[in-house]
Formats: sequence, C-alpha cells, structure tokens
Amino acid sequence: MMLFQVGLIAVFVVLVMVRWPTDDRVALAGLRSQQVFRLFAYGLLTTLLILLPVFPATSIVREKNQGTLELLLNTPLGPVRIFLGKLLGVLGLAGILLALSLPAAAACYALGGLSLTGELPRVYALLALVAVQYSTVGLYVSSRSNTIDGAVRWTYGVILFLAVISLGPHAFFQGQDSYLATLGAWLRCVSPIAALMELLGAGDIGGQGLLSAGGVPGRFAIASLVITAVASIATIGRLNHRIFDRARPQGRISDDRRIDEQRARRILFLVDPQRRSRGISLLVNPVMMKEFRCRRFGRLHWLLRLVAGCAILSLALSVATTKGALDWGAAEIGGIMVYLQVALVVLITPSLAAGLIAGERESGGWPLLQTTPMSVFRIVWGKLLSVILTLVLLLCATLPGYAVMVKVDPGMRSQVERVVICLAATAGFAMLLSAGIGSLFRRTAPAMICAYTALIAVCAGPMLIWMGRDAPFGHGTVQSALTINPIAAPLSVIRASGFENYDLIPANWWFLGIASAVSLMVLIIQTGRVWRPQ
Amino acid sequence: MDSDKPVVVLERLTKRYGSFTALDDLSMTLHAGQIVGLIGPNGAGKTTAIKILVGLSRPTSGTARIGGADCVRDVRKIKRLVGYMPDRFGSYDNMRVREYLDFFGAAFGIRRRQRTKRIDEIMETTGTTYMKDRFVESLSHGMQQRVGVARTLLHDPQVLILDEPANGLDPQARIEMRDLLLRLAQLGKTLLVTSHILPELSRICDRVGILTHGKLRAFGTIEQIGRQISQRRTIEAHLIGAAQISAAAAIIRDAIEPQADVVEAVAEEAIRFRTAIPESELGELLAQLVRGGIRIVQFREVQTDLEEAFMSFARPDEGRPETAFVAGGAARG
Repeated sequence: MMLFQVGLIAVFVVLVMVRWPTDDRVALAGLRSQQVFRLFAYGLLTTLLILLPVFPATSIVREKNQGTLELLLNTPLGPVRIFLGKLLGVLGLAGILLALSLPAAAACYALGGLSLTGELPRVYALLALVAVQYSTVGLYVSSRSNTIDGAVRWTYGVILFLAVISLGPHAFFQGQDSYLATLGAWLRCVSPIAALMELLGAGDIGGQGLLSAGGVPGRFAIASLVITAVASIATIGRLNHRIFDRARPQGRISDDRRIDEQRARRILFLVDPQRRSRGISLLVNPVMMKEFRCRRFGRLHWLLRLVAGCAILSLALSVATTKGALDWGAAEIGGIMVYLQVALVVLITPSLAAGLIAGERESGGWPLLQTTPMSVFRIVWGKLLSVILTLVLLLCATLPGYAVMVKVDPGMRSQVERVVICLAATAGFAMLLSAGIGSLFRRTAPAMICAYTALIAVCAGPMLIWMGRDAPFGHGTVQSALTINPIAAPLSVIRASGFENYDLIPANWWFLGIASAVSLMVLIIQTGRVWRPQ
Repeated sequence: MDSDKPVVVLERLTKRYGSFTALDDLSMTLHAGQIVGLIGPNGAGKTTAIKILVGLSRPTSGTARIGGADCVRDVRKIKRLVGYMPDRFGSYDNMRVREYLDFFGAAFGIRRRQRTKRIDEIMETTGTTYMKDRFVESLSHGMQQRVGVARTLLHDPQVLILDEPANGLDPQARIEMRDLLLRLAQLGKTLLVTSHILPELSRICDRVGILTHGKLRAFGTIEQIGRQISQRRTIEAHLIGAAQISAAAAIIRDAIEPQADVVEAVAEEAIRFRTAIPESELGELLAQLVRGGIRIVQFREVQTDLEEAFMSFARPDEGRPETAFVAGGAARG
C-alpha cells in the first residue's frame, strides 16, 4: 500500500513537472494547467474506481466467514455503528488517496487557469461522492455475498455497470427522439465519468458533434446520494441474524422427480442444472471438469445463457449498423463491440484465472491433488483449459456481430480478422497474467484483487495518456503508451474514432505475447514450487 | 493379508526446519491390518510424520517405506498405496458428494464404469449413500469426515493415513467413525490415525505411539505403555462401609514402601495406593487385610488409561525415562 501511495505521488509530481513553465513567457489562459489538471482528475477517478471497491467488498464477508461478525453483532454496537465504522474505515483510505493528490492539485493551481471556487473544489466533491457511493455499494454487495472472491467479482461488476456500461445507451441513442434516448441521457448521469467530463469541459461521451443538455454533475450528485442512501439502508438491514440465515441446500435432484417434471425442466433449462451428472470420462482432463463443476457459473446451463446473451448483444449492435442509426458506421459499432468484449474479458478473466492455484491452497484441496497420481502439469493444464474454453465460448459468441459487419462492408474483412486476433491475444494475456499473479498468493481474495488491479491498470493507464493526446502528450508518447494497451490495439485496427492515427500492430502483439510468456513462466515456476514436497 | 508382514516402516526419521527439529529420530513399524494411533500435543510432529509418509514433505534424514516403496523416491507408487485424509476436508463449491468422489476417482485414473461401481461400494461401506446428491460444502463436519474417509478408499489403498478423523465430531458421529475404522481394519487395511480424542484411540488402536517435541516417547499397546510410565502400579481396595478404612490403611502402610502414597477415599469406601512390590507380596498383603478383619469386596490393579499415559509424557517436568521401551522392539524414538 505504501509503495502504491509513493507511486501515485510520483506520477502526480511527474505530471506537474512535465508542464511546469521553463521559460519567461506568461500563459494567461492557463491552458497548460487545465491540461494537467484534466489528466490528473481522470487519474484520480481511475485510481478510486480500481483500488477502492476491494476494501468494502471484502469487509463484511470476510468477518462473516471468519466468524467475527457473530461476535460483533453480539456486542452492544448496533448495526448502524458497525456499518458506519466500516464505511469510515474505507473512506479514511479514500481520504488518504485524495489528500496525497492535494500537493499536485496545489501545483496545478499555482500554474494558473484554475479557480479555488470553480473546477478544483467541484472535482474533489465529485471524487468524494464517488468514494462514498462505491464504498456503500461495496459494503452492500459484501453483506449479500458468501465468498470473498464472489464479493470482489460482483462489486467490480456493479461498478463497471455504474461507471462505464451506463454510458452505452446514451452514446448509442443520443440525438434520437425516442424514450430510449431519454432513458440513455438519464442513465449516463449515474456514471462519474460523464459528470467529470462535463466538469472539466471535455464534452460528452461519444458526442458525435451533438450538443447534449448539461447538468450531468448535478444529476450525478442526486443519483449518487440516492444510491448511497439505498445501499446504506439495505446494508444496515442485513447486519443482524438474517445475514446468517441460509439453509443448507438439500441437493434435490431432477432424476428423483416425476417424468413430466423432468421433461418440463429440460425444456425450460435446455440443460437441467439439477440432473445427476455422468462420471468424468478418462479422455478429458478431470481437473478441467472439476473446475467447470465447482464454478457457480461453470455449469453448462449458465454457460449457455452467457453465450446466448453475448450473441444477442453482438447481433443487436450489428443490426443497428445496418439500420444506419445516426449514420453510425461499421467502425463505430466495431469500436463499441471491442469495448464491450474487452470489458467482458477484463471483468470475467481474473475471476476465473486468479484463483486457480490460490483457491486450491485456500480450500485445502491442494494437498489432496498432490496425493493423486496426476502430474502438476496436467493439473495446471486442466485448470487453464477450463478458463480457455470459457473465454473461447464468450468470444465466439460475439463473432456473429463481426460476421454481419463483414457482410455489410466486405472491405473490413482483414480488419475484422486482425481485431479477432487482438481479442484472442487479449484474452490469453488476461488469463495468463491473472493466473501468474494469482499463483503467488495463498488466498483467493488478494490474488483476485491484485489480478484485477494489474489488468485494469494495463487497460486504463495508457488510456489516460491517450486522453491527454496532443496536449500535454505528443503523438509519440501516446503511441508508445498504447502499445501495451489491449483495448487500443483492436480499436486502432478498426479505425475507431480517436485511434485512427495510431499504428499499434504488431508491436502490441509482441508485447502481449512476451507478457503472456513471462506470466506463464511465473505460473509454472510458482506452481512447481508449491507442488514440491516441503 | 499377512499380519506379521511390516507394511509401514519408519527408520530414524528426522525433519528439521532450520534450527527447529520437528521430528527427531523416529522409528516405527506398522503391520498389515493394524490400527496404530499417534498422539501428542499440538506441534509434537504428528502431521510432519504423516506428510513425510504421503510424500508431501521430505525428511532431513532417515527413511520411510510403505509396502516396500520409498516415500521420497517412489512417490508415484506411494500415491497408489496410501489413502490420505488431511485434517482439513478440502471442500469444493457447487459439487455434489457423488461428483466430488467421481473427480478424485478420475484423478486416480479409475475407468468410468469401474469407478461408478466403486463409488457405490465405498459409499455403502462408509454410510454416505444417503448424502450422494448433497453439496459437499453444505455437509456437516461429521458428514464431511465420512466423505473424506470415502475419498481415501476410492483407489483401494493398502494403507490409510487419517489425520484427526474424530476431530470436531459429536458423540454419535464419533462412535460411527470408530466402527468405520474397525470395519476397515477388518478388511485388511493398515490404519495410521492421529487424534486428540484419546478414549477413542484407546478403544480401537492395536498400538499407540506418543510423540512429544518430535520424539517418540512410547510405542506399544496401552497396557505396555502404562507399565513403561512407572514401575509402580495403582492398587485399589473397596471395603464394605467406611468404618474400617483407617485400620486398613494402617495395615497397607506397614506392608508397602514407607514413602508410598496411600489415599483414603472415604466417600467411595475405598483405599488407593501406588506400590512396586511384587505380586507375591501383594497376595500376602491381601491375606493380612483379611486376617485383620477388614471386609474387602474388591482388590484390584487400576489400569493406566491413555490419558494418564499421555499426560505423563506431555508434562515437561515428569521424571520419566527419555524414551519408553516398546513392546517387541517395534519402534524406537
């Protein structure tokens, strides 16, 4: 944590130093300062979004699993005080992060162009609202979860929806005279990104030159306060005996039901989740099967639902292209699909791969695997295979959208092929990075947290530099930064808006390949180390 | 199975972590069909010994063999020979008991059809058939322990090594576990069991080893270990009524060693004393008491139980021999 804080300060210092005046000319407009401050504010928001949710997400569920929550609830402290104690603990951390940024903010102010009554306090107020809102959301998710990794996964999922996906409908339907456009305009107000962009005068997400109504920060503040209040009340309502009220599932099985019930369930589910599964064939890797079976969403019926959802979304986007809504071209739709796919990969992959080894060590399954005749390579391969197959299924499910794009514009064929390669490389990189980082830990939660942080940092960090393209960063700097970015490469291939001028292939593939190979080496070496007899 | 055939042989097994000695010169032999209990306080070295046997740890010196296979060099062979149940269950989420057993059966390379049959058999043996469709993480501790034993039996190992199988079980579950272990021994399996529940071990084990600070302090039957603790035996005399207790105590004090303790338990109408005098002199003492008009209904040696033996070795200030000699020279520590 200390290392992170020092790193954060260093980044802010470098940012200010880059734009600090070195000649005797006066910049009356304070343009430099505003450029630095814009990046600085995006950086702070990204840091909060990446780092903060982990702490509330693990806070209650960890106590619940360790048994200390029972002790806490048995004390005279009421649910409100327990909740406030936990919330203030997390907010203390957010406060430290924001306080660390104050010297850099002061330097920006000293550069001129910023007002102590204008954007400076407003940005900090917005960041404070974000911290409070996401902390309460994290605590609520934590109170509903049974496992730490589940809590982390769901919290990041909710935050991804609130911060990023909520921007999608507005970006897509803006300018139309329909209820969907109105809904999209309102929905984007729950995202702090849209609010921050307006505060910093950076326009609107996917503005397309359209003028959109302002007032997003105000609406965000209201939405944030409402979400905070609802999440707080719901969490406090959970902090009593009900949090432990969970009946042990009796394991009812469809094979014991009546024939007509069994048939109905088969039609309803396609693959009945409660049917008695067949034994594992010796032709398949048993560890892979075990991984699928013991995952909450690893069973076939869930995978089918996930794949169907991805396929429908992908096709819907492609249909929108063919209808020519708002004159959006294939590149724009391709860009949205890339964003969605990478978001899906970033959200799902660490939760699948980070706990491959750490989960076994935590659950006590590792020594049991060690006493079977399976080799460590077979075990690791079985585990990786379970992740690879899931990711392949997900990525394949989004391919129909690209197929439609190629059909509409056959000239895009080679671009789409390269985008698919980029996505496959991104998925492989995300999997191996998460698995490699996860293998360094004994417990799933820190393994997952570190994997998420590393992956989001690789994805979001260079994008921050991209946001400062032309000013303060030059083309060369942005190009170099984007080389390591798994999102930018497919966007540059598809010539999405803002990425047309960057040529990131094959340098990006080289980076992803080398990083994946290093991660794989870490995974193999570390797994071999923990496999060896003590 | 030949019960004289040594199945597990530990010779001068030592394990050091830096300057800390977890296991010190442990030697022990287990024969086919035996149930051997390993007891000791926390940190005594029980789990270290077990981990070496199942190939999860390597000894600093000494050798360990199971069925002739070296636990360091022939690890793959050892995995086929041994069924290991660690003190933690090793649960997987969202898996039913049958799927859980099926996975481990597949991990041991048992063919699907044969595996299905085998799982049915061991579920029957371990009394887990009724929970086959339950999720493993939702089982009670006692149920999980039984499923754990079922898992160790999947590949039909010759030796079962069970770390704390009775830990955390309620009385009924303990009785069921005890019966299960006895049944497995009758099937010819050799069992090495660690436990803190000493009465449980004393009821099922053919041999018991007491480990403290990594050293094997005693090994043998409970009676043999009891005799190793002290040359003195505890004798108990029950009288009819408490009126003659003082008179009886006087006769006893005259007959045994002068420094020996004689306890007058008036409420129980009994006298207890510890003495090293031989059987013949004890017989003479009894005759003296009878001649003295003492109305005795019972005159017997009190057996040293396992808890007493364990406490005797676990107490650091006990004036006991460094290592108890073991029946039949089967073990040396």
